[in-house]
Amino acid sequence: MLEAMVSGLVTFFLAPAVIMLGRRLEIVGVDVHKPWKPIVPKTGGLAIILGATAGMILGAHVSGFQLLIPVILSCLVAASIGLIEDLRGEINPRLKPLLLIFASLPILISGAYSPRPLIPFLGRTRLYRVYPVLVIASYPVVCNAINGLDVLNGSALLTSIPFLIMSSVIFYMRGDLQLLILSLVFLAAAVAMLPYNMYPAKTFIGNSGSLFIGAGITSIAIMGGIEVAAIIALMPHIMNEMYVLFSIRGLKSAKNIGKRPVIVEDGVLTASKDPDAPITLLRMICAGNRIDERRAVYAMTLISAFATLLGFLTHILLLGG
Amino acid sequence: MGLARNILMIIVLLILVWAIFLLVSYVITVTVLYTLELPGDTIISIARVVLGLIIAGAWILGWYKLTKLWLYKILLARKRET
Repeated sequence: MLEAMVSGLVTFFLAPAVIMLGRRLEIVGVDVHKPWKPIVPKTGGLAIILGATAGMILGAHVSGFQLLIPVILSCLVAASIGLIEDLRGEINPRLKPLLLIFASLPILISGAYSPRPLIPFLGRTRLYRVYPVLVIASYPVVCNAINGLDVLNGSALLTSIPFLIMSSVIFYMRGDLQLLILSLVFLAAAVAMLPYNMYPAKTFIGNSGSLFIGAGITSIAIMGGIEVAAIIALMPHIMNEMYVLFSIRGLKSAKNIGKRPVIVEDGVLTASKDPDAPITLLRMICAGNRIDERRAVYAMTLISAFATLLGFLTHILLLGG
Repeated sequence: MGLARNILMIIVLLILVWAIFLLVSYVITVTVLYTLELPGDTIISIARVVLGLIIAGAWILGWYKLTKLWLYKILLARKRET
C-alpha cells in the first residue's frame, strides 16, 4: 500500500509546482464554461504522471512487482502523445489513434496478458490470434474515450474513479496483490488531483493526464483479465466517443465541427437541438435543461458509477468473480 | 427535476445496452459453442471470429441507433411538449 500512498502524496504535493510551471511556460487553456473565461494551466496531468509513475517504480523495484514495468512504459507512451498535444496543439485526429497503438506495445512485447478472456455464458475463450489485435485496438479506443469525457472541471477524473474502485475491489477479492497495487496507484493519483481539477479548476489535467489514465485503465483491464467488466463500466465513455464518431461521420478535429453539442450562456449549459450537432453524453444530460457545470459533472459521475456497478455485477454473477 | 429525469433515462438506456450485450453474448455462445466440439479447422476458427465480430458490430450499431432515438425522441422531445 506504500506505493499508492507515494502516488497520492507525490501527485498532491507536486500539483502546485506543475500549476506554476504551466503559468510560467504559458501552457494554458481557456475555461470556456465560466462566464469570466479564466486562463487555466493545463499541466495538472504532469503531477498525476509523476505521482503514479513514482508509485509504480516503487512497486517494481522495492516490492519486486515486475508486471508494473510494461504498464509504466505503456502509460508514458500515451502521456507523451498527450503532452505533444498540450504543447503544440491537436494532433491530426487520424494520426492520433495510430500513435496510441504504440502504447500497447510494452504490454504485447512483454506478454503481460492472457489471450483467454472470460465472456458471459461462453466462459473462458481461446483467442490466441485475435486477442493481440484487440489489445492493439483497445489503447486508442479507451485513451480517446477517457480524453473525450475531459470536457468539464473534474469530469475525466470523477468518471474514471469508479472503474479504479471496481478494479481494486475485484483484485482484492481475488487476492492479487500486484494488480491491486496497480489499481490503487492510479486511484490515489486521481483522487489526489481532484482538489486542483474540480470546479473551479486550478488546473486542467490536459491530454497528457487523460491519455495517461486511459492507458492505465486499459492496462489494468487487460492484465487483470477484467475486459468485459471494463467494457460495461466504461459504457458512458465508449458511447460518448462512439456517438461523436458516428454523428460527425469519421475522425475529425473538434475544431472542424461547426455544430456544437452544448451551448454555454453565462456558465449555464443547454443541449443543442440541432440534429446535425454531435451526440455526446453531456448533450444528453443537458437535454431540455439549463444546468450549471458542477451539476453536469455530478450527473456524469453518477452515470459512470452506475455503469461500473453493472460491470461489477456482471463480473461477480456471470463471470464467477 | 429535469436533470434527475435525464440521469434516470440515461441509466435506463445503459441498462438496455447492457441487457443487449448479455443477449449478444448469449447468441454468440449458442452459435459458436457447438463448433468448439468440431475437430480443429482453420476455416471454422476464422468463421467463428468473423461471426463474433459481425454480431458485436451489430450490437454497436444498434447501441448508436438506440441512443439517437433516446436523445431526439425522449430527452429532447420532452422540452418541446412543455
